Amino acid sequence: MQKRTFIAIAALITLVSLTWMALTPLYFPGVQAGSSQAAHQGFQAPDFTLQTPEGLPVTLADYSGQPVLVFLWASWCTVCKATMPDLEPIYQEYAPQGFEILAVNMTAQDTASAAINYFQGQNYSFPMLMDPDGAVARQYQMYAVPTSVLIGPDGIVQNVVIGAGMNAGELRAWLDDVLTAEQGE
Amino acid sequence: MFPVIDFGPLAIQAAGLLLILSLWLGLWLSGKLAPNLGTNGDTIENGLLMAFLAGILAARIGFLLANPAILVENPLAIISLTPSMLDANFGILAGAIVLLIAFQRKHLPLWPTLDTLSPLLILGFAGAQSANLANGNAYGLPADLPWSVYLWNANRHPVQIYALILTAILFIWWLVKTRLAKQNGFFHSGVLFSIVLAGLAFITLFTQAFVADKRIILGFDQVQWLGLIILAGSLAAIYKLEFTQPKAISAFISMGSNLDPLENLYEGSQDVAAQFKILSRSSIYQTEDTREGHRGEFYLNRVLQIETSLPYPAFHTKLKEIERAHGREPGNREVVPLDLDILTFGKEVFRNAGKQMPDPGIIAHGYISLPLAEITPAFRHPATGEAIDDIISKLPAVEQNVQKLEEVKDGTEG
Repeated sequence: MQKRTFIAIAALITLVSLTWMALTPLYFPGVQAGSSQAAHQGFQAPDFTLQTPEGLPVTLADYSGQPVLVFLWASWCTVCKATMPDLEPIYQEYAPQGFEILAVNMTAQDTASAAINYFQGQNYSFPMLMDPDGAVARQYQMYAVPTSVLIGPDGIVQNVVIGAGMNAGELRAWLDDVLTAEQGE
Repeated sequence: MFPVIDFGPLAIQAAGLLLILSLWLGLWLSGKLAPNLGTNGDTIENGLLMAFLAGILAARIGFLLANPAILVENPLAIISLTPSMLDANFGILAGAIVLLIAFQRKHLPLWPTLDTLSPLLILGFAGAQSANLANGNAYGLPADLPWSVYLWNANRHPVQIYALILTAILFIWWLVKTRLAKQNGFFHSGVLFSIVLAGLAFITLFTQAFVADKRIILGFDQVQWLGLIILAGSLAAIYKLEFTQPKAISAFISMGSNLDPLENLYEGSQDVAAQFKILSRSSIYQTEDTREGHRGEFYLNRVLQIETSLPYPAFHTKLKEIERAHGREPGNREVVPLDLDILTFGKEVFRNAGKQMPDPGIIAHGYISLPLAEITPAFRHPATGEAIDDIISKLPAVEQNVQKLEEVKDGTEG
């Protein structure tokens, strides 16, 4: 390739890029995620109302202003059962500051009695919710258990952790962050 | 979109799998290209591995430094295998520093190393796009198009599909240009890498327009700014590497002869001196012809350091003209009145159109490396960064059987 040809091509590429960049805010302005609902970082957490095994209704929106962990689990899931005991002490420690855990059982893919037996046998102090027709699982586009959805006090999803990635240390770090930020305001 | 692939009881995170597969394929292609280009694939790969491990470790330490409470509660958290608890910035910084130190210590040259890594760059980019696609990150703007994907409660631009199609075109160009990783395809090092980088920067700048979540800096999207800066930088690099020529390039050439060798080497040196400035010249070395039926016959060789302002192809043609003037018949390997081979051409490392620089003979033949070491003891191989003494010590014994005939004291002769 000749030097001149290259300069012409390079100039053309630069010009096209600059034009495209300049047109982007006009034709493709960004859309803030927070205005719509989805189980993904930056979006409003999709709201739901489910019942506890005792039949008490629990609505996610009621916890507005508090950090919430929605933990989707099943009784046949060994990773879930390895993770949940770690959640209990953190719940005990942070619940007075407003932290809530909603342990949503994927009842549509589980046996309700087995799930309830396990959960009550462990004496967890956070509430267990039943998702008998899988509505929340679909709403949260859930593909694997456990799935941990961390929701900030503003109702925005801050992190979705699939599988065993969620651990006590990370949850604690997140809570310290969220609660300090809230106090600062 | 499909964050988990189910293999019976095994649930594998698709994003990580796609990323690892692409990086593996990229590394494999780099490993194919390295020996063809003459660069040291193993050293490069080891440096990358060290940087990767250091990056992971630093990312974990960085996270724990920011959240010391975790460490107080459970000191074993530092070696926990969970993929979270990583501080990306800290990890990338540490990885980059370790990579620089590793490459610096081995004296790896910048541009040839980057050329070698160009397939890893393309496939790493494709892998990152695939991972985003699988995770639903960097999701597109809502759009009702026949090819929209349903994601996060809306029909959206499939941004990563656009990027992957364009990256596939760039990758096909790379495969054609390198003849399936057999050459770099240019007469200058760094051009291949710079074109790849420019291509990826352009793809990023173009596809970022369709991403929904934009961070604006100075009126424009920050990722597009980054793309623009990298694009401009790579275009400037291509111009400098491919189209500007230093006024004087230092080149080492090897002279050899087995027909009236002493006479041909002296006259050949004079013919070279008539056209180029000779900076230094080695003594003459004698090697016995080891081929069957040639025992007792000898080759004489020497190395010259000369200066030229010609581009490589023209320089090569000039030397071939001198060879022919001494009666050299192309293809005749029995009778060689005068052989002139370019050993190095500045710091260029390339393989293109049947030509390779530096000459592979440097690491293969004592009659080349020994005279080279005589006139430039500090020589390092432009492609691998290896010192000439180390190159010589790795030669097989038969290649060390080279005898120096005559000393040149002051580096010049009449």
